[in-house]
Amino acid sequence: MIIELGHYALVLALGVSLLQAVLPIIGALRGDRALMEIGTVAAKATFLLVAISFGVLTYAHVTSDFSVQNVWENSHSQIPLIYKFSGVWGNHEGSMLLWVLILTFFSALVALFGDNLPETLKANVLAVQAWIAAAFSLFILLTSNPFNRLLDAPGEGQDLNPVLQDIGLAIHPPLLYLGYVGFSVCFSFAIAALIEGRLDAAWARWVRPWTLAAWTCLTAGIAMGSYWAYYELGWGGWWFWDPVENASFIPWLAGTALLHSALVMEKREALKIWTVLLAIMTFSMSLLGTFLVRSGVLTSVHAFATDPTRGVFILMILILFIGGALSLFAFRAARLKAGGLFAPISREGALVFNNLILTTAAATVLTGTLYPLALEAVTGSKISVGPPFFNMTFGLLMLPLLLAVPFGPLLAWKRGDLLGVGQRLFAAVAIGLVVGSAIYYAQNGGPIMALFGIALGAYMIAGSLTELYLRSGLGKVTGAVALRRLSGLPRSVFGTALAHIGLGITLIGIVAVTAFETEHIVEMKPGMTTDAGGYTLRFDGLRNGNGPNYSEESGHFTISRAGVAVADVWSSKRFYTARRMPTTEAGIRTFGTSQLYVSLGDGMADGGVVVRIWWKPMILCIWGGALFMMAGGAVSLSDRRLRIGAPARARKKKPLLEPAE
Amino acid sequence: MLFWILVATLTAAVAAVLLLPLLRAAAGAEAPQSHDVEVYRDQLEELKRDERNGLISGEDAGFARAEVARRLLVATDAVNAAGPVQPARRSNRLAQLAIILILPAVGLCLYLRTGNPDVPDAPLAARLANPGNDMNILIARAEQQLVANPDDGAGWDVLAPIYYRSGRVEDAAAAFRNALRILGATPARLGGYAESLIALSGGLVTTEAQDALQKSLAIEPNDPRAQFYLALALKQEGKAPEALAAFQQIARTSPAGAPWLPLVNEHIAGLKHDGAAPAGAQARAKLGNPTGEDVAAAEDMSAGDRTAMIEGMVGSLAEKLKADPKNFEGWMRIIRSYSVLGQKDKATDALKQGLAAFPADGDEGKQLLVLAGELGLKADGGVK
Repeated sequence: MIIELGHYALVLALGVSLLQAVLPIIGALRGDRALMEIGTVAAKATFLLVAISFGVLTYAHVTSDFSVQNVWENSHSQIPLIYKFSGVWGNHEGSMLLWVLILTFFSALVALFGDNLPETLKANVLAVQAWIAAAFSLFILLTSNPFNRLLDAPGEGQDLNPVLQDIGLAIHPPLLYLGYVGFSVCFSFAIAALIEGRLDAAWARWVRPWTLAAWTCLTAGIAMGSYWAYYELGWGGWWFWDPVENASFIPWLAGTALLHSALVMEKREALKIWTVLLAIMTFSMSLLGTFLVRSGVLTSVHAFATDPTRGVFILMILILFIGGALSLFAFRAARLKAGGLFAPISREGALVFNNLILTTAAATVLTGTLYPLALEAVTGSKISVGPPFFNMTFGLLMLPLLLAVPFGPLLAWKRGDLLGVGQRLFAAVAIGLVVGSAIYYAQNGGPIMALFGIALGAYMIAGSLTELYLRSGLGKVTGAVALRRLSGLPRSVFGTALAHIGLGITLIGIVAVTAFETEHIVEMKPGMTTDAGGYTLRFDGLRNGNGPNYSEESGHFTISRAGVAVADVWSSKRFYTARRMPTTEAGIRTFGTSQLYVSLGDGMADGGVVVRIWWKPMILCIWGGALFMMAGGAVSLSDRRLRIGAPARARKKKPLLEPAE
Repeated sequence: MLFWILVATLTAAVAAVLLLPLLRAAAGAEAPQSHDVEVYRDQLEELKRDERNGLISGEDAGFARAEVARRLLVATDAVNAAGPVQPARRSNRLAQLAIILILPAVGLCLYLRTGNPDVPDAPLAARLANPGNDMNILIARAEQQLVANPDDGAGWDVLAPIYYRSGRVEDAAAAFRNALRILGATPARLGGYAESLIALSGGLVTTEAQDALQKSLAIEPNDPRAQFYLALALKQEGKAPEALAAFQQIARTSPAGAPWLPLVNEHIAGLKHDGAAPAGAQARAKLGNPTGEDVAAAEDMSAGDRTAMIEGMVGSLAEKLKADPKNFEGWMRIIRSYSVLGQKDKATDALKQGLAAFPADGDEGKQLLVLAGELGLKADGGVK
C-alpha cells in the first residue's frame, strides 16, 4: 500500500502541476492576486508530493521490495546500504524521478523566497516551471514508471550495474541534475519575461544567482563524473569526448556564457535580450542532453527505432519547449527594451567576446556530438567523431578566450583601456613563461606546445591574482591598509579570481597529463619490477577475496623510490555474480598532484598477469581546478549585495579608479 | 479500503490547500513597475552604507548614485504613466471548479491506468520471515544457502526441478549437473538434466541429452521418459525406421491406458505415413525440427507446464538475441521454437530479424531461408 500511495502521489503531483501551469498565468493577465497566489501554494504542494513519491521509491529500494519492477531490475538484497540508496537513481526511471524532484524543489524555492519578486513575474515563472514539471511527470508515468509492479515478486534482484556500485554514483547524478535542472529556473524567468513583455530590474538580480548556483553544481557534477570515470573504468582516461559527456558539457559551456552575460545585465542593464536568449538556449541544451542520454538514441539509432516510445516522448517535449520558447522569443523579443551602450573595449565588450567564443564552442561540441547520429539516421553509415576533432576545433577556439580571461576583470565598465590593462598584466605574462619553462625542464622535454599550454595556465593564475593585487593597492599603501582593502573587496571579486585561477589550474593539469604521461603495459610475475614516473613498482602477487555480491582478485604492488619503499597499492578485478559482469578497481596512489595508476589485465597461463601502469603527472590539477571554480561560484553566490556597475566618466584619466562592484 | 480512504484524504487535502488563496479576499495586484522603483531605492540605500563603511570612495559613489538615479527616474515615470491599478473583483468560480474537478479526475484516470492498487507491498525482510508458499523466496533462500555451501547436493536436488518448472531452464540444467556431480546419478536426475538440455535447445534432443538418457536407461531400463526422448532423437536425426521401432517398443512395454500412449501412437502413425511420403517431410525430420506433437507428448511424459516452460526459455533467448543479434545458432533455434509453439507471426518476425543480422546472400542467411522454407514461413511477412 505504501508503494501505491507513492505512485498516487506522483499522479497527484501531475494534477497539481497542470493547475499550476494555467491558473497563475490567468491571474497575472487579469491582475488577480488570488489566482497568482495559487502558483506559490501549488509549487510547494507539488514538491511535497514528488518528495513523498521519491521517498517511497527509496523505501522500496532500501527494503528490497522486489514486487516493484524497478527495484528488482536494479537492486540486490546483499549490496551495501549506500548502493540501495544510490540505486534509486542509478537507473532510467529513478533518475527521471530525481530530475522532477529537483525541478519541483527549485520551483518550491522560488515560491518560498520569491517574496521580493514582482507578483506577476513570480506567477509566470512558477507557471512555466509547472509546464516543465507536468511534461516530465507525464513522461515518467506513461513511459518510464518506476512504480510498475510485478505480480509474482521475484526472490532476488538483478543487482545494480556493477560500474555504478561506487560512491561516485551517490554524488554524481544528483549534482549533475542540480546543474541541469537549475538552469530551468533561468529558462522560466526568460519565458516569464517574454510573456510579460518586460524585463524588471529584479529579473537580473534573480537570474544571476540561479545561474551561479546551477553552474556551480554542474561544474561539480561534471568534474565528479570525470574523476569517477577515471578511477572506475580502468582505462586511465579522464575525458573521452563521449556523447554522454558532451551532453553535460554543452549546457556547461552555454551556462558559463549565461553566467557572464547575466553579470553584464545585472550591473549595466546591457545585453538584456541576448541574456534572455542564452537562458533559453542553456536549458534547451540541458533538455537535449536529457534526450540524448535518456532516449537510447546514443547506443544506436536502430535501437532507438525499435523502441521509440521514450525517445519520441522526450523528443516531443524537446520540440515543444525549445520550439515554443524560441518562437515566443522571436515574437516578443522586440518588445523588450535594449539595455545600456558600451564601447567595444570595455568590460562589457570583453564579456561579449567571452560569450561569442563560448557559444561557438558549445555549437562545435554539439555538432561533433549530433553529426554522427544524423549521418547514421540518414545514410546508415556509422562514423565516430573522436577526440582529434574536438581537440582541434574546441582547443583552437578556447585559445583566444583563455588569453583574454585575465583582461576581462581588469577592464573598466562601459569604456576600458586595453593598453593599460596589458601593461598591468605584463608581470603575469612573465610569470607564466617562467613557470612554463620550469615545468618543461623538470619534465625533461616533451612537445613544445606543452611549454606554451602550461605558460598559458600559469599566466591565467597570475593574471587573476594581479587583479586582487592591484585592488588591494599592495606596494602603494602600507600592508595593513592593503589587507583591509583586500578584505573589504566584494566577495564576487574573489569569486571571479578563484574561478579564473581554477581554470588556469585545470588547464595546467590537462596539458601536463597529455604531454608528460607515460604508459607501460607489461606482463608481470610476482617479484618483477617496472619503473614509472621515477618510481619502481614491484608486483608482490595475487590474492582472492569475496565481497557481499562479488568475488575479486587483487594484486599487491610495492612502490619504491630510489630503492626505498614509499607506498603500496592494491589493484583488483571484480566479478559481480548476479549480473555476471567484471569490473576493474584500479589501484591509484597519489604523490603530490601526480598519480600512479595501476590496472590489472588478464592473467597469463604461466602465472603472470598483464598490468597497465600509468604515470599521470599533475593530473589532480584537472579536478583541483574544478574545485577552485566551484569555490569561486559559491563565494560569488554568497555575495548578496546589490550590484550597480557605474561607468567612470570618459574624461577620467586615472585608470586605477574602479567602480564598486 | 484503507488505501482508497488515504487516496481520497490526500486528494482532498491538496485541493483544500490550493483553494485557500481563492477564498481569501481578492486584492488587486500592484503595478509591476513599482517593483523596479523599490529595487533601485534599495540600491541607493546600499550605496550609502558602502560609502559610510569606506568600501567605495566618495567619487565612485557619486558615479554609481548618478547611474542608479537615472534608472530610478525612468522607473518612476513608468509607474506614474501606468497609473493606479484597479483591484480586480472578478469571481473565481471557474478556478475553484477546475481545482475541485481536475485533481480527482487526473489522479484517478491516470492512476487507474498505471497503478496496481491491489498489489501489496513486499519488503524482502517480511517475505523471508514468513515465506508461506512464495516460490521465489524459497528459491532465493535455497540459492543463498547454496552460495554459502555449494556442495550441498540435497539443496541442488530441491532447486533443480523448481528452476525447471519456473522456466529457468539454464539454471535448472546447471543445478541438475551439480546434483549429479555431488550425489551421483539417478534416473530422476539424469532425466531432469536431459529435459533441461532439450528445453534449452528448443526441443532438440542433443547428443549431450542423449548421453544422459542412455545413462538413465542403463540404471532403469524401463523408464518411459528416457525411452521416449531417445525415440524422438532418432526421429529428429531422420532415422525414421529406427524411430518407428523405438516408438513401437514403448507402446508394447507401456501398461495399458498409460497417459502417453495416444501420443506415442500418433508418432507411430506419423512415421508410418512419412515412410511413404515424399522427401519434404524427411528433410524436415532431418533438420531436427520437433513437431507440435513431440512437445505435447513430452508434456505428458512428465509433469509440469511445458508450454510455459518453453515460452520462458524462448523469451530469454529472444532477450539474448536482442542484445547480441550476431548469433546464428540462436536465430535458427528461436525460429524453430516459435513455429513449434504455433506462433507463426513471431517466427516470421524472428526470421526477418535474423535475416537483418545475416543477409540472405550470405551462407548463414541461406540456411535461415532454407529453414523458413521447411517451416512454411515467408521472409517478406505472412505465412505461406
